[in-house]
Amino acid sequence: MLFKIVLAFFGSIFPALLFNIDRRKILLAGLCGAIGWTAYQSVLYFTGSPITASFLGSIAVGIYSETLARIIKTPAFGFLIPGIFPLVPGFKAYTTLRYIVENNLSEALNKGILTLAVAGSIGFGIMLSTAIFKIIFRNRRADSHKYKRNFS
Amino acid sequence: MEIKEVAEIATFAGEILLRNGAEAYRVEETIKKICNSYGLEGECVSNSTGIFISVITPDGQLVTTVKRIKQRDVDLYRIERINSFSRELMNKPLSYEEAKKVLREIYNAPNFSLGVRLFAASMTAFVYTLFFDGGILDAAVSAVISIGVYYMLERATKIGSFQFLAYYLSGLIIGVASLALQILVPEINKDNVITGAIIVLLPGVALTNGIKDILYGDFVSGSAKLSEAVLIIIAMGVGIATALSFLMKWV
Repeated sequence: MLFKIVLAFFGSIFPALLFNIDRRKILLAGLCGAIGWTAYQSVLYFTGSPITASFLGSIAVGIYSETLARIIKTPAFGFLIPGIFPLVPGFKAYTTLRYIVENNLSEALNKGILTLAVAGSIGFGIMLSTAIFKIIFRNRRADSHKYKRNFS
Repeated sequence: MEIKEVAEIATFAGEILLRNGAEAYRVEETIKKICNSYGLEGECVSNSTGIFISVITPDGQLVTTVKRIKQRDVDLYRIERINSFSRELMNKPLSYEEAKKVLREIYNAPNFSLGVRLFAASMTAFVYTLFFDGGILDAAVSAVISIGVYYMLERATKIGSFQFLAYYLSGLIIGVASLALQILVPEINKDNVITGAIIVLLPGVALTNGIKDILYGDFVSGSAKLSEAVLIIIAMGVGIATALSFLMKWV
């Protein structure tokens, strides 16, 4: 369990290096992946459903990165993208593919729907956390809009 | 500063953002901010393949520019630099030469060297093979394969070849290499090797930014990014499936 959290930490750092992340934010990006994976594991332990677990895991990733983005004034997706890497259903997607090749279409459909549901719930979790933060911080944006109007 | 120069600065900043995989709303907001900080009004539409900018003076003069973006990459560092550049511009407008100099510096900002990136790609595959319950041997094999695949993809983007062909070939290489290695060394499990190696190729940025674009109401650019991501996944999957269906018999 702890070993997997450490792996998730490194599993967020190395993809982030491929995207040329700012050197000072490498550790924060790794922490994002570790938090997301911890949330995923704990929800999976209590509910047993990978779909709910991915949903809440990606919400945790979203909240972490949007909060940090507001604190240190940087785009949120610098943390968001490395953070969801451990949650991506790579193994499920590959299993689907293998069943298709083996001509075992009913199992492939089974796994394929699971893969799509997990991917969709990750996407929806990110959407939800971004939308919530957008609503909370709407006032500041509205102010900046007013400023623009006065200017021109 | 003249209106044409403002338009040039804004276009350049937008081009850097879009080239490095920023979301459409970020491009539009940054361009508007740059125009506002010089006391002009800016109007911008950004697709994933190009930007249209109009700069309008208070007395009604209008300059419009169009910029087509052909090559797209992911570079979080440059996006961040442009972000802080536009924020600083709001407080203290720079002159044309200064702004141009800063933008050119961001455009040529250092990337990690190819060696570091190859190392990162191989370590990604290594970590994710262990993550999906593979053994150390599987992880090492997967790391070696993904070095080759990442290098191949890097060359293919430099040459500017057809993107999906490159992803198809990388899927094929991953499949053939891991199956061949399992036939030669029976201790290796091909499933673990493949799952570790494909993580490096996943279009995570296109997917998340596509979702974000749709959330912000930029449906054109959002669905373009999502379909790009889906096509990359399909190309990669077909590549692996080709290798599996021809070589599965001998395993």
